Amino acid sequence: MPQSRNDGNATTGRSVGPRAGTVAAAGGPVAGGRALDSRTERDHEAISRLAGDVLPALIAKLSATGLGEIEVRDGDWKARLRKPAGPDRVAPGAKEGHSAHGPVPGRVLAAGMAERERRQEQEIAEPATRPIMATSPAVGVYQPRKDLAAGMRVRAGDRLGTVDVLGVREDVVAPVDGVIGVGLTEAGEAVEYGQELIRIELPENARGLDASGSDREAAAVLGEA
Amino acid sequence: MFSKILIANRGEIALRILRACRTLGVGAVVAYSEADRDSLAAQLADEAICIGPADARRSYLSAPAVISAAVVTGCDAIHPGYGFLSEDAAFADVVRAHGLTFIGPPAEVLERFASKEATRRLFEAHGLRTVPGSTMLRDEAHALVEAERIGYPVLIKPSAGGGGKGMRLVRTSAELESAFKVSRSEAKAGFGDDSLYLEKYLEDNRHVEIQVAVDRFGRGIHMGERDCSVQRRHQKIIEETPSPALNEAARQELCTRAVRAVVEAGYENLGTLEFLIDAKGDAYFIEINCRIQVEHPITEMVTGIDMVALQIRIAAGEPLGIGQSDVVSRGHAIEFRIVAEDPGKDFRPQAGQVLGYLSPGGVGVRMDSHLYSGYEVPSYYDSLLGKLSVWAPGRAEAIARGDAALRELLVDGLTTNIDLHRAILANQVFIDGKVTTNLLDRVGSAPFVAAGNR
Repeated sequence: MPQSRNDGNATTGRSVGPRAGTVAAAGGPVAGGRALDSRTERDHEAISRLAGDVLPALIAKLSATGLGEIEVRDGDWKARLRKPAGPDRVAPGAKEGHSAHGPVPGRVLAAGMAERERRQEQEIAEPATRPIMATSPAVGVYQPRKDLAAGMRVRAGDRLGTVDVLGVREDVVAPVDGVIGVGLTEAGEAVEYGQELIRIELPENARGLDASGSDREAAAVLGEA
Repeated sequence: MFSKILIANRGEIALRILRACRTLGVGAVVAYSEADRDSLAAQLADEAICIGPADARRSYLSAPAVISAAVVTGCDAIHPGYGFLSEDAAFADVVRAHGLTFIGPPAEVLERFASKEATRRLFEAHGLRTVPGSTMLRDEAHALVEAERIGYPVLIKPSAGGGGKGMRLVRTSAELESAFKVSRSEAKAGFGDDSLYLEKYLEDNRHVEIQVAVDRFGRGIHMGERDCSVQRRHQKIIEETPSPALNEAARQELCTRAVRAVVEAGYENLGTLEFLIDAKGDAYFIEINCRIQVEHPITEMVTGIDMVALQIRIAAGEPLGIGQSDVVSRGHAIEFRIVAEDPGKDFRPQAGQVLGYLSPGGVGVRMDSHLYSGYEVPSYYDSLLGKLSVWAPGRAEAIARGDAALRELLVDGLTTNIDLHRAILANQVFIDGKVTTNLLDRVGSAPFVAAGNR
């Protein structure tokens, strides 16, 4: 997962930035001894604000960027979201555009551990704006939508094509809002589960989360909420 | 013969099937789930294809995913290995409907032997003694009447179950009453079928199974027996052949009866007939396994027959090519199932990274394992890491070789049962060849674990 160390600007009290860590909505101070009603009330308020406003905004933000993880602080509270391991973050070492890979001598022999470490390093080194891919939902034969063309704007969930599994079509869907980029697989080709099929370019304003832009980004996200 | 086989399984058996394909000169495609992308079989294969996510229901257990993978990679047969779809008659039928061959018994044969209860009646009619049992239970009242007739203790068994899963031992009518409902709902949840039956529980029994092979032309052979009495909660831990429980005359008689029964009952391909042998030496048929079994290597070691290759050849419609007199068992073989379970913590399954792995070697030593240093054992599947099998001219030497090999075997980073195996080998009951299936459960594993830690 991308782990560019950028904690945003903490002086604003609210900050957004990609961080390493675990999936958690971590609690703030825990009331010690006898619970104070006012504090409990405050905590409940904070929880409902997190659940009702902050989290949906974070989820939208996370799916609109190539970030693997995002964190927000709000007073004593912080919420951290991480994308689950899924087809859209297939390790870069995985094959592209082929339904089945040929022998990869040295892959095993390089010993899994070294290989794994190398891959993790690659992942860390990758920019946060890594391309987003629409992937195959199943093993079968791929057919893109007839009218699909590079440059076309799509919304998350839009059907981009199908994979035919023994006569049953399963939809290939856009994982995010964006613009259709290069296709990696020809129509009629056999594809495997999770195979990257179409590159989705992100709209300019959702791209990039550098140090100077992070405050504005954070404000924009939380402003929507 | 087939031109290309899809291997629809994982772990050590995927590797085993790949090896058989290569020896036969047949192409192979390894189908893997997302969690097995780094598996040894997927990496060693000439071709590999991801068929679904880690969840087996959407990958190794998904008939459409497996068959679609076979179709798009141009395979003409599917090898299901063991577990997963290996004994699923409906799957075998759909495979055939897509013009492919299921490597195992044909769909209608699997169908005929799908119900354990019906199978027991069928083999009874063909001359095998079965454990006294009930018909399918209608309800609790029926169960109580049947249990009374058979005599306690009895086992409550799910008809669709296997590998000891879902079985319950009850010693009184009160225990039966309280266990009946739970067993029924467990069977429903575990196997999608809540049919239950009762079987008399034979105390101090031994588990002995006969390996058979029958071709499409109705010619059958047996390849001797395996003794799988070292069990914990009905899960096999150590298997050996020949069985210390049988003398030569009893072995010949049981094997001959078994192969005659399967041929007469219309069985086809590899099969294993499981028997319980009571204290008097009487053998009772309990079930047939219509697949290649985990413990097949010990039979291969004493007979020299490549059983997976034989299974593939039979499925391709070839005749056996050998007769009973060609099957000669030589020496003694023992298999140790190496699992990622912590004997000190109630055998809790372990997952995680193998930091270092060293496979043992030497005369008569065979290791079937998908491990390598750096391999991440996924938490989604069973805990089997591999099988260490040893062969020697006699049982005592086989035990000595087993111990030497276990001392060499290194799986760093995970807690395994290697020490438990060594402790069992050092146990007098095992040395005397007198282990019964209830031994580990009766005395508990603790004394063995403690002995292993010394």
